[in-house]
Amino acid sequence: MQKKVLQFKLNGESLAVLVSPADTLVDVLRDQLGLTGTKKGCGKGECGACTVIMNGKSVNSCIIPALQVMDAEIETIEGIGKPEKLHPLQESFIDLGAIQCGFCTPGMIMSAKALLDINLSPTTADIKEAIAGNICRCTGYTKIEEAVLAAADKMKIKEDR
Amino acid sequence: MLKDYVLATSVAEALEVLKTYDGKARVIAGGTDVLLDLNAGKLSVDCLVDVTRVAELKKLENMAGQIVIGAAVTHSEVKKSDLIQSNAPLLADASGSVGSLQIRNTATVVGNVLNAQPAADAAVALVALGAEVEIQDPSGTTYRPVQELYAGVGKTTIDCTRQVVTAVKFPALKPGQGSSFVRLAQRGALALPMLNVAVVLSLQEEKIEWVRIVMAPVAPQPLRASMAEKVLQGQVVTTELISSAAKAACAESSPRDSAIRGSAEYRKEVLEVIVRRALEKALAAAQ
Amino acid sequence: MKKDYAVVGKSVRKLDAMEKALGTATYTTDIRLPGMLYGKVLRSPHPHAKIVKIDTHKAEALPGVMAVATHLNTSKVKFNTSATSTFTIPPLQPVEDQYIFDSVVRYVGDEVAAVAAVSKSVAEAALKLIEVEYQLLPAVYDPIEGMQKGAPEIHHCEVGKNIPGEKIHIEMGDVEKGFAEADYVFEHTFKLPVQKQAQLETQAAVAQVAVDGKVTVWSTTQTPHPTRRILATIFSLPYSKVRVLNPPYIGGGFGVRIGLSAKAEPIALALAMLAKKPVKVVYDRKEDFTSSDTRHSGYITVKTGVKKDGIFTSRKISATLNTGAYCSWGAELPGVLGAMGLSLYYCPNQMYDGHSVYTNITPAGAMRGFGSPQAIYAVESQMDIIADELGFDPIEIRRKNIMRPGKDWVLPYPCLSSGLEECMDRGAAEIDWQRRGKPTQQHSTKRRGIGMAAGTHVSNSWPFCVDYSNAYVTVQQDGSIHLASGVPDMGTGTITTLSQMAAEVMGVALDQVGITIADTESTPFEIGSHASRTCYASGTAVVAAAEDAKKQILEDAAKTLNTSPEDLYIADGIVYSLSNAELNIPLSKVAVEAHLRGKQFIGVGRIIPKNAPPYLAHFAKVEVDIETGKVTVLKMVAAHDVGKAINPVIVEGQLEGGLAMGLGYAISEEIKFDGKGTPLNDGFHKYMLPTAVDIPELKAIIVEANDPSGPFGAKGVGETGLIATAAAISNAVYDALGIRFFEIPLTEERVYKALKERK
Repeated sequence: MQKKVLQFKLNGESLAVLVSPADTLVDVLRDQLGLTGTKKGCGKGECGACTVIMNGKSVNSCIIPALQVMDAEIETIEGIGKPEKLHPLQESFIDLGAIQCGFCTPGMIMSAKALLDINLSPTTADIKEAIAGNICRCTGYTKIEEAVLAAADKMKIKEDR
Repeated sequence: MLKDYVLATSVAEALEVLKTYDGKARVIAGGTDVLLDLNAGKLSVDCLVDVTRVAELKKLENMAGQIVIGAAVTHSEVKKSDLIQSNAPLLADASGSVGSLQIRNTATVVGNVLNAQPAADAAVALVALGAEVEIQDPSGTTYRPVQELYAGVGKTTIDCTRQVVTAVKFPALKPGQGSSFVRLAQRGALALPMLNVAVVLSLQEEKIEWVRIVMAPVAPQPLRASMAEKVLQGQVVTTELISSAAKAACAESSPRDSAIRGSAEYRKEVLEVIVRRALEKALAAAQ
Repeated sequence: MKKDYAVVGKSVRKLDAMEKALGTATYTTDIRLPGMLYGKVLRSPHPHAKIVKIDTHKAEALPGVMAVATHLNTSKVKFNTSATSTFTIPPLQPVEDQYIFDSVVRYVGDEVAAVAAVSKSVAEAALKLIEVEYQLLPAVYDPIEGMQKGAPEIHHCEVGKNIPGEKIHIEMGDVEKGFAEADYVFEHTFKLPVQKQAQLETQAAVAQVAVDGKVTVWSTTQTPHPTRRILATIFSLPYSKVRVLNPPYIGGGFGVRIGLSAKAEPIALALAMLAKKPVKVVYDRKEDFTSSDTRHSGYITVKTGVKKDGIFTSRKISATLNTGAYCSWGAELPGVLGAMGLSLYYCPNQMYDGHSVYTNITPAGAMRGFGSPQAIYAVESQMDIIADELGFDPIEIRRKNIMRPGKDWVLPYPCLSSGLEECMDRGAAEIDWQRRGKPTQQHSTKRRGIGMAAGTHVSNSWPFCVDYSNAYVTVQQDGSIHLASGVPDMGTGTITTLSQMAAEVMGVALDQVGITIADTESTPFEIGSHASRTCYASGTAVVAAAEDAKKQILEDAAKTLNTSPEDLYIADGIVYSLSNAELNIPLSKVAVEAHLRGKQFIGVGRIIPKNAPPYLAHFAKVEVDIETGKVTVLKMVAAHDVGKAINPVIVEGQLEGGLAMGLGYAISEEIKFDGKGTPLNDGFHKYMLPTAVDIPELKAIIVEANDPSGPFGAKGVGETGLIATAAAISNAVYDALGIRFFEIPLTEERVYKALKERK
């Protein structure tokens, strides 16, 4: 199998990695780059645990051919906040009890971020649509939806200033 | 065994690569299904030709009354498009009910057709719209109705190892025309439909000038309810008429038993309800 | 007496949430060790077959393959993947009915062989090179058919054809006399589906064998200590040379890994021993569906004698459950099902008979609720029928019959608290109960209805299983506290809740508590996270350990302060005198001075939990499309007596998550099998668990009827959120349609058929 150089922007930094044509983005992130924050729950695009943002849109990294990412911008959970400077979504998820086992959390937060990046006044229906592809078996989604709304409010206030 | 992956920048380049591999390369767009099939060993190719970067395939436009959707246009783009919402709202609804947002952000409308699944939501809507695809291959450009692209469940008559489907196009809805897409599924996302029905119709005064009713999955491919269409054609709309059209549609269907998505009996009976609702909705839109 | 607590009862931030939100939390599937190999499993395509021949030569010859394991080169010690071998109380004997690999396969998905290779793809390629010759055996899929004389014998059983363990019999009073006294006798049989835990992280384990033979296994288990016991037994190792731990996070559990994570641990370890390299085994989603425990399906019959005034005189429940190809928890679960089904209501004459049956489908084991959702679905569906027939409001007839403290029941522990009435009243107010029974939307194709159901469960697994906990609390030289408990945190908030309890007892701030969990090497024996027990039982051990440490501190400080230990208490990290406000000393000073004298305060908690009944009332508002049969749940209310909410937001989260899972159980979730035993719903796309758009407004109401047996009055919570959900929804559908259902899930087709039959 012939490997190819994949160049892309990951969490704001340009990088190049050698990948095989059959590799998927999630395997490149987790196995090659050691970014295990992106989880793999099904490998078939059916659970959303592997959700990352690609060129501004939420995608299932387990069904994205790695080479399709050429020159693209990818954001993962590792790139959106730091312990001392959490993303408002991370903060709300923590504060409002939206995290239980945590396995869906990174994908859930990335789906929510893709929404809030373009819409700071989402309705509950908007939020449900954005996260309907992210299965959570622990929370019943209620506190997750509350956390997304709360984060949107926080971000809006910040933007209004 | 997959050896190469080419991000084509033009249709010509894609065709060139296909030619070089002589049947061992395959076109992909979003690749959501192809990659799964490759990994499951259901498909074997040497090279994937990715057309998502081909600028001309990203088009989504109205060309003299024809809506043209390029092969790299995703379900999300179609769903959000003002052009589609005003000229083919049923397609916006159909694309909007595929899988999940993440899937819709990568999977394409053309891919939905070429995947040739009997209940592919966008394809069902496209058949109702009378859509045809634009095909390019070494011999030139040809057009074929979406309805004629099926060669069995999961099999398309398009040879993706030698041909590139560049777009799908259909006439924009005009005033007096209405459409609908009605779907019955076991849950609100990440679910294939138990039934889906697309209707496009044209009203002239009180009469139905013409109508296309497409139902799935009640046959190996999206099925035109021709008898039901005949029942309606040229008639003044009444509740009884809609009801007998729905019954006729039902009689034309031959759904299969699915242990997961409902028995043939259930689907056949409820199809009548779904067709009726779809007709009512399309009529309301037309009026 | 209502106490004001400093830390307990507060919704503090979950201690694991930050790492999880940042993506830095480590799960078993994230582990990568130097030289680590990847293990993949070959599974049976047949429901029941003998392996006549298995040839692994070609697989072994594939470059990159480091080991191939089959029944020919692995341990011949029988075990049970569930933790029963640790838990079963004599005279009941644990059922040990499987090997890592056997020469017989008993369900589609059963383990045949495994390969360890340098990459996942090489391992997968090698599986295809293993040649297996099967001799097909007759198979059976239904538990009632499985008991018949002519049914194929799946395992040899003493008490009856294909019946693992013992038949459970529970009795109180004289049921025949009770039925004779009754004015009415109701008898109904209910059928239950196979539900799947569908936790987000699949079964996984990484096994490493050191050169001196010491074994370390990181895994997704909910019970590290019992899992260590199973592994040590299979591989004939001293327990002390086997370390089992979570890394430390688990992507959910819901009962699916009480004991082994299916067979991920022994397969990884067998391969690691053969290959002499660390091996990681991660089930893919399909394997997780087809080859790890499900909820028990089966049949439950409830017979109830009632007086005209609505008072019960007699009740008899019987259950025949499908435990699939291996017993797992199939011998214990029927007991919980029966006891919970009987003990929700007071009735002087009660009897239960129940057992599991082996069949050739995926094994059934523990899943959130452990028999109670099944029992309560049946009992509470019938309760609605009785209310209707006798003309009582469903809440009022329950009020007449509910179990109350001081009354007798079939359980060996007393009922000391009940907030069930308050749960029913507050839930009724929230759902707008008086609208029940009112016809709605008669001109539409939609019908709305309201229903309710009550429920109960346990707060740990005694008397059904062995249950005890240990914990250490050690005071560090700076006065901070370290807590060690062997219990995992599956996401249920264990580390936070236990730390809150330790901080409360010790009188220190929460940020002064450090915690180690779920590691057999650094924690004392602990049964693990199951049976809604971590807060109640592990919490009791933590409180005991903290009390022990505090006692040592106060004795020491009393000498320094020239007073008695009884005169002292700790608050905000300072030891104060009750009698003299001026007299105090910081805990840090007590600790460091003790250290200078060569002493550390080490608290040990060793407890055998009592048990306490959590109570709950669920209310559902539904809408049914009478033309398609589609049931849409519009609102769910869950009012729960949790004893005491140590962390209310965590409790709400447990309840909301339970409701969502219960909603799926009620209307859409089921694993079906084709005529040849192949599971049809083997992935998230085919298994209809709810997504965000399927979940209506969920309202959790916390009721606190403090139980004297629990820490700070707490009772079990973890499983209770789904116990009455299916019955409440089914009863609401009755209110909407006037049609009773005796089987779930209430799929479009099932409801449609019932509507059609009524026409």
